[in-house]
Amino acid sequence: MMKHSLIILLLSITPRLFAQHEVSGKVTDTDGIPLGGVNISVAGSMQGTVTDFDGLFTLETGSSQDSLVFSYIGFKALTVPIAGKSQLNVVLKEDTEELKEVVVTALGIKKETKALGYAVQEVQGDALEKAKEPNFISALSGKVAGLNIKNSTDLFQNPEISLRGAKPLLVIDGIPDRTADLWKVNADDIENISVLKGATASALYGSVGLNGAIMITTKKGKEGKLTVTFNNSTMFQPSFIKVPDVQTTYGNGDNGIYAYENGSGGNTEGGGWIWGPKLDQPDPSTPSGFAETPQYNSPVNPETGELTPLPWISRGKDNISNFFRTGLVQSNNLSVDWGNDKASYRMSLSNVYQKGIVPNTGLNNTSFSIGGSLTPSEKFRVTSGLTYNKQYTDNFPQVGYGPTNYLYNLVLWTGVDVDVRDLRNYWKEGQEGYQQRHFNTSWYNNPYFQAYEYLRGYDKDNLFGNLAFEYKATPELTVKGRSGVNVYSLGRTYKEPKSYLGYNDKSRGNFSLENTNYFDITTDIGIRYEKDFSDNFSVSGEVAYSNFYRKETYQYSSTDGLNIPGFYNLDNNAGSTLTGTNREEEEAIHSFYGFVDLEFYNAFYITFTGRNDKVSTLSKGNNSFFYPSISSSVVLSSLLDMPEWITFAKLRGSWSRVSDGKIGNIAGLNENDPYNYIQAYDKGTSWNNTKGERFPSVRYSNLLIYHALKPKTVDTWEIGTNIRLFRNRLGIDIAYYQTRDYNNLENIPLSDASGFGTYLLNGNIYKRKGVEFTVNATPVQSDNFRWDAQINLSQYRRYLEEIYGNKEYTEDRLQVGDRTDKLNNASVYQTDGQGNIVFENGFPVSDPYGRFVGYSEPDWTYGISNTLTYKNLSLTFQLDGRLGGLMYSTTNQKMWWGGISPGTVNQYRDDANNGESTYIGEGVQVVSGQVTYDTNGNIVSDTREYAPNDVPVNYISFMKTTSNAHNENYHYYSQTFIKLRELTLTYNVPDKFISKMPLDAVSVSFVGRNLWMASKVPNVDPDPGKDDLQAPSTRSIGFNLNLKF
Amino acid sequence: MKNISKPLILIALLSGFLNSCSKMEELQDDPNRTTDATPELILTQLEIQAFNNIGTSAALASRHLVNTDGVNSNQYYNWQRSDFGNYDLLKQVRQMVLEAEEDELSVYTPLARFFNSFFIVGLTQTFGDVPYSEAIRAAEENFTPVYDRQEDIYLIVLDDLKTASDELAKNDETILGDVIYNGDHLKWRKLINSFYLRVLLSLSAKTGNPGLDIAGRFREIADAPSAYPLLASNEDNGALPFHDIEGNRYPLFQNNGLQTAFYMEKTFVDKLKALQDPRLFSFAEITPAAADQGLTANDFEAYNGLKGSVPLDENVQIAVNGNASRINKRYYDQAGNEPSLLMSYSELQFILAEAASRGWIDGDADAYYREGIRASMEFYNIAESAINTYLENPGTQPDPGNEIASILTQKHIAMFMNTGWQIFYEQRRTGYPEFDVSGGGVLNNGKIPKRWMYPSKEETQNGKNLEAAITRQYPEGDNINAEMWLLKEE
Repeated sequence: MMKHSLIILLLSITPRLFAQHEVSGKVTDTDGIPLGGVNISVAGSMQGTVTDFDGLFTLETGSSQDSLVFSYIGFKALTVPIAGKSQLNVVLKEDTEELKEVVVTALGIKKETKALGYAVQEVQGDALEKAKEPNFISALSGKVAGLNIKNSTDLFQNPEISLRGAKPLLVIDGIPDRTADLWKVNADDIENISVLKGATASALYGSVGLNGAIMITTKKGKEGKLTVTFNNSTMFQPSFIKVPDVQTTYGNGDNGIYAYENGSGGNTEGGGWIWGPKLDQPDPSTPSGFAETPQYNSPVNPETGELTPLPWISRGKDNISNFFRTGLVQSNNLSVDWGNDKASYRMSLSNVYQKGIVPNTGLNNTSFSIGGSLTPSEKFRVTSGLTYNKQYTDNFPQVGYGPTNYLYNLVLWTGVDVDVRDLRNYWKEGQEGYQQRHFNTSWYNNPYFQAYEYLRGYDKDNLFGNLAFEYKATPELTVKGRSGVNVYSLGRTYKEPKSYLGYNDKSRGNFSLENTNYFDITTDIGIRYEKDFSDNFSVSGEVAYSNFYRKETYQYSSTDGLNIPGFYNLDNNAGSTLTGTNREEEEAIHSFYGFVDLEFYNAFYITFTGRNDKVSTLSKGNNSFFYPSISSSVVLSSLLDMPEWITFAKLRGSWSRVSDGKIGNIAGLNENDPYNYIQAYDKGTSWNNTKGERFPSVRYSNLLIYHALKPKTVDTWEIGTNIRLFRNRLGIDIAYYQTRDYNNLENIPLSDASGFGTYLLNGNIYKRKGVEFTVNATPVQSDNFRWDAQINLSQYRRYLEEIYGNKEYTEDRLQVGDRTDKLNNASVYQTDGQGNIVFENGFPVSDPYGRFVGYSEPDWTYGISNTLTYKNLSLTFQLDGRLGGLMYSTTNQKMWWGGISPGTVNQYRDDANNGESTYIGEGVQVVSGQVTYDTNGNIVSDTREYAPNDVPVNYISFMKTTSNAHNENYHYYSQTFIKLRELTLTYNVPDKFISKMPLDAVSVSFVGRNLWMASKVPNVDPDPGKDDLQAPSTRSIGFNLNLKF
Repeated sequence: MKNISKPLILIALLSGFLNSCSKMEELQDDPNRTTDATPELILTQLEIQAFNNIGTSAALASRHLVNTDGVNSNQYYNWQRSDFGNYDLLKQVRQMVLEAEEDELSVYTPLARFFNSFFIVGLTQTFGDVPYSEAIRAAEENFTPVYDRQEDIYLIVLDDLKTASDELAKNDETILGDVIYNGDHLKWRKLINSFYLRVLLSLSAKTGNPGLDIAGRFREIADAPSAYPLLASNEDNGALPFHDIEGNRYPLFQNNGLQTAFYMEKTFVDKLKALQDPRLFSFAEITPAAADQGLTANDFEAYNGLKGSVPLDENVQIAVNGNASRINKRYYDQAGNEPSLLMSYSELQFILAEAASRGWIDGDADAYYREGIRASMEFYNIAESAINTYLENPGTQPDPGNEIASILTQKHIAMFMNTGWQIFYEQRRTGYPEFDVSGGGVLNNGKIPKRWMYPSKEETQNGKNLEAAITRQYPEGDNINAEMWLLKEE
């Protein structure tokens, strides 16, 4: 009756062999209602078909003596010998056992979907197998309603994940991964991903499950013959879907003048502006025919010792394509699995190699994984899994705005008079190892110098695994236990060459080392009870004890300058001492938990859960706490007489309370620090006196910590429905939820005069609301052609319900009832109340009070995916994106500021280059009167009289001062976008071609990701949801080859 | 039985994991931070914070430097708010006292009085009324301290500084953690007494206020050098030295902006040129145009400045044509450069000169004035002969009709890139030297602001007290041009 469309899809791929016997017929249920979508296969072969909407089928078989196997979810499979007949009418009986479509829920417990009182959405592993992303989370974009993934365009940067507005827990085979390493599981090893959307769903995980969970179940050995699978995926990144568009009319310089002296500020070349003279200006008096000026690459005239002028032309128009190279993501996986009724086993070896678009950058990610199960008797079962994963690179780019960012040096602050190809030779002649060669050596790094000499190494060894057993002591009682560990060691190195530039820091060479060692273990032991008292009443439940322990150590050492250039060792320290620090953290949680599932009449389901945590991360007396949940589901289609076209209908509802006793993610505190509840001194600066004696110091924290902090608590209620129509051809799932977040552990601002800037306590109260829709449809389904579609749509809002201390405003100038994403405190210019900007001396006047510019959360997040299957071909494509919500764009602001924005190419700029002030900002100026404000920035009295602004100013001065902010909504741009995220065309090679080879199945796919995008924000990809000068967004194109032996 | 026992082994094994780490209390001490400290550890931090005041903002506002990267609010006088950062430091002072009390040490108490006075004076000079009597009381759950009247704050400060000096004179405990004076009690007393005189002079508008008795208090100190010793040479300067060690370098070392977008201010350069003041060579670089002409660093004609008050593009134009002097390279390419001064011997001499000129004390204003100049020039390692020549120059001689203007002019030169915002406050108090606003680029209707607006955080977190303070001080509201009590003549 119900069935996941993807499974149907896989099974419906019909190999065609030369037919010798044709058989047709009709499949109905016991009431004579035709069953569409029934799988029919010829026993012992790969041949098969599915019934159409009227239950009809036609099949050609190799022999009239074959048997046909009819299978349909919710019905008992039936094998019918053809026995020479050409017409077969088959009646399938409902199978109450088989009816149980199950999903993986908290703690790895499998539950029937229809019994769930909360929202769970599954993604099958094969959806992630072909169109590869460097990490599997990015591949989930748009596939789960309510799960918002903001993908980074930079190499080896985590996407930002939020589920219903908060960061969910990652669980691998039932063991929470608190290291939240998104790179340590290879997509090829994922059987399925189950997203538990609310706190109710993950309440049993306790505090870490506060915000829902992404549960990954890895592949295990399957019963059946030995299977060897090889999967290769190769994706190139040959082009960009979004890259900053820069002007090529004017070059480096200031006020229309460029004069090169020494690159470090001897003249205009050092200032770093791109407000220079026009490029490509003809000048018949010069050898080149263009205006010429001495430049950084000018040859020195041996007679005069002067720099020879070079033509001032737009040589660097293609700097972006000349510098970045074609990226590559190559993924290989080889796995072997086998199993029988006593044991199963799988081993898998994977490697993902990523070649970055920045030269000399890349990432290797290798995993070796084994797992299996033993079932020595019917009563006893042991499963285990162990994965070793290594992530390593000698160099990957630093991100964030500044001289350590590639785009900063290549595009944002380099006029196109500089050709990046000329910078490939990056040492200054005669000063190799000491001084980089660049057109500007006061502010910017030569991008090649940066790529080949400033090296950021990363080497992480992950080991994680679990061991679990179940022992069925009696038919009702099962003893179970599970223990899982996460271990890693991470070594990072930073090799900084001499003359490398940071802000206000010209390196004398440096070498830094960082080492982290991590260990955690989670162990659960419990007893499960289950009993069916009658057909109409059954009970199951569990009580368990759980223990979590974590230990982490960290060390950092750094030189203070290097003696010998390029020799990266602490022994090469040029300073008097090494700088260094270390940390050690330990924490534990002891918990009891349990749940009871009640089931009545196969239609009413109720689950109660409860958990008590005792944590080490709050002070004694406040560190033990209990929280419950209740959830319920009613299957209407089992209770009521529904029209025939309603296949299934259920309502669900739940309420939960989850508390968290760990203080994390607070400004000024380390997110994972278990000691954040302790008020203490911080390390201060050490200083030498005049005698050279060194004095250490401490400073008392600027954060006051309340002595009796309580755990933060989230109360959630949720209602939803799941309706499936037309025999599963259309499924709709709707969820609506509200949470109340209280006792939040957060920094409440204090008057600094009180001695502390902030107070950590159980602070403001928030409310979150959201709605999620998922629609699954199979609009077309026939013998040869099938179209499956899924639409995910969600909206999420968070509101301020109460301000701690009943203050009128928060620091962000929010009031009770406001959405918390309200950007109400932006730095803006004063207006006259009619929206006109107020100018003084031709420049806009800053408003001393922050003002409203919009909201940052998108109105809707959506994803639409389609799979079209025709015979052996299938085409999958997915469009997703966001509607509404503002993001601040650093790239755009800096482009206006620095003079590289194409918008700055205009007559005013030419005038400014000629020393004329002609730009008159649109707005007003005050001719008399004044304005006074109350302390909240509201106007108390206003006697201002205005005249239109008529003061012309120098355009360059204006842009350097304003970045054109008032014309660009202060650089807050709409995130709205639509992206062709994924396009996969797969050809499953028919059996007749592979039957002669030692192969069971072959598929070849053409794959594209991020192929196309339409968006509102200029110059940057809004997908990351923020812009701090991100890498250009690339398009990925490649292929996938999957072989099964 | 056989089938049961093996699963039991597994249960036992897993239970072993459970027991491995059950003592939760042992995990509840932070191994990374200390909850207990000794007073000297805090003193070092306080000194680093209080004595390090190097920056470019004050230099822009005081017509020492000019910036060409944009319309800078310090240079064009359209700044708005300042911050309450000093309260964090006042809290550190309080912690130092608490830790000292715990260790039964009393020598840190007079130092605490000095630091409290120094930090609160910094705040009240910036804003006017600020919280003091109820400040730093979060531990007692007072999160909304009332604002004290500026007059009351100064009364507390004056008493505290005197008490600090008296207490320290009687104390012979060792001062540890002292990177300024290496625990030298006498030098600390000299600094405290000299700072006391600075505070008194800053109240020069208040000579008619009998409760304050400015002149009387000044005399009490200045006339009793044995009981109240004062800074006696540059050796006594309240100075924080910088070192070529990570974290201890001159704050502007390798500063990008300083080497590319900061130029000398023209009225300042012209004054130094007119006075033939060799300190110019120590402050500035010659212009690129002068370098092209082959002029050398000791040629006054090789220097030129940009006017802080003209529109930005005019300055940029002069600069890109190579006709403006940058600040001397040492400010960004020497890790040690020069120490940061909280208060110098030279400043004290100018204070005494002004006090003498105002008739508060009997000394020879001219002698103090010359000694102030000499000390400043020695700070810049100017040769003795050059100093003597300079002191003989007609332009150096104090204006007999307006001695105070001459003193302040020299103070302005002496405070180039040191002593924080002090010279701005001196100019605000006396009107000397005149800061140029004539160029047409100055915002704020061409006026030099007299204060800063309160931090916006006070509006949200301490609104009622702030509002009361604003209402009683500034009828025009929280405005940068409003005049605080300190500046009102009485």
